[in-house]
Amino acid sequence: MLRAVWFVFYTEIILLLRRSHEWLYPLGFFVIVISLFPLAFTPDPVFLQKYVPGCIWIAALLASLLSIENVFVTDTEDGHLEQWLFGEIPLTILMLAKLCAQWLITQLPLIILTPILGALFHLPWSSSVALCLGLLLGTPILILTGSLGVALTLGLRQQGVLLGLLVLPLLTPVLIFGVNIVQQAQAGLSITAPLAFLAGLSTMALTLLPWAIAATVRVSMDD
Amino acid sequence: MDSFSQLQANNLGCIRQQKPLFANISFQLHSGEMLLIQGPNGSGKSSLLRLLTGLSTPFEGEILWYHEDIQKHLSAYWNNLHYIGHTNGIKPGLTVHENLKLAGHLRLTASPGNLSTILTQLQLHNHQQTLARFLSAGQKRRLALAKLFLFPRPLWILDEPLTALDANTQTFFLSCLEEHLHNSGIAVVSSHHPIHFNKAIVKSLRLELC
Repeated sequence: MLRAVWFVFYTEIILLLRRSHEWLYPLGFFVIVISLFPLAFTPDPVFLQKYVPGCIWIAALLASLLSIENVFVTDTEDGHLEQWLFGEIPLTILMLAKLCAQWLITQLPLIILTPILGALFHLPWSSSVALCLGLLLGTPILILTGSLGVALTLGLRQQGVLLGLLVLPLLTPVLIFGVNIVQQAQAGLSITAPLAFLAGLSTMALTLLPWAIAATVRVSMDD
Repeated sequence: MDSFSQLQANNLGCIRQQKPLFANISFQLHSGEMLLIQGPNGSGKSSLLRLLTGLSTPFEGEILWYHEDIQKHLSAYWNNLHYIGHTNGIKPGLTVHENLKLAGHLRLTASPGNLSTILTQLQLHNHQQTLARFLSAGQKRRLALAKLFLFPRPLWILDEPLTALDANTQTFFLSCLEEHLHNSGIAVVSSHHPIHFNKAIVKSLRLELC
């Protein structure tokens, strides 16, 4: 069973790597949105140090929505999701494997890129580390909540905007704690408390949401 | 009421977009029997097959597998069947080999021994490393059908299995279907092509446009 789940995880990674536009475009979007902020405000380093972490968080939020939008589209179109149901492995575990692969390919590059972007905006090293830690714990929640939104809107046309309307309000706690981590680090305070909150939210999402996603996907096939 | 029936449908009805598609469909299938569903386009063949897979819930009526309502024992029921719909259920982004390996892992069956024989019979052995998206429509269909032969399951639910297949593969597939029935399997097949089997094992159901 473990080997089978591992193989599903592996195929999902191959599939994502072969459809490079699904993770490259959101990554490009992330970089461009961040580089627009200094143009819109002011290139003053003191100002940027204060506001860029928030901008990076918002850009990460939007980029994750962009990358998650199509997570089940091809699987529904080619009938592969049905075949998952007829297998012996519970759909919840398959979903978890699929979303882990999704996180690894779409979100991890974004986190790796963040210190470089931070350096461009004169962000001190300690703030960059705090930002990365926050993203590391926060992005799984973005992916999981996003896929629940996708699963809920699976049968609809024009689901893109609706997805944002559904999911973005749910993600405000992640944004608040995420930005709070960097603010604490910049003020020289301990970042454990907001990190622990994010870790808690992440654990809750990781344990509960795959069930909800699997159930929603299952219902959406009953057309 | 026959006590040996394995797949039984009682008064099935389906409604699509507020219009009744069919109603009062009942049949019983024993092991070794096949139900052939025929009818014009839009008469509800695919909807009926989806009801039988348990993916959709019937508007009225019930489907019994060994006298148990399938909707109440879905995951157990799903381990008994193969369903091939219009979409083939293969991943275009994976190679033929990866697709079959994935299908095996999903069924917790390690690589079956007859893999190369069946791929040769389906003329797919030269395409094992080809991405499924580059296969022709007929080859995709053959890849989907390969799962039937590699991973034995008692119930086959097939939606137009003969479309896009060439004459040789059609004959090969029909002989496999006959063997499946001979080994006390059950099949529910929708088809526009005539299937000439022994009349005793084929039950026919004709859907009409309402």
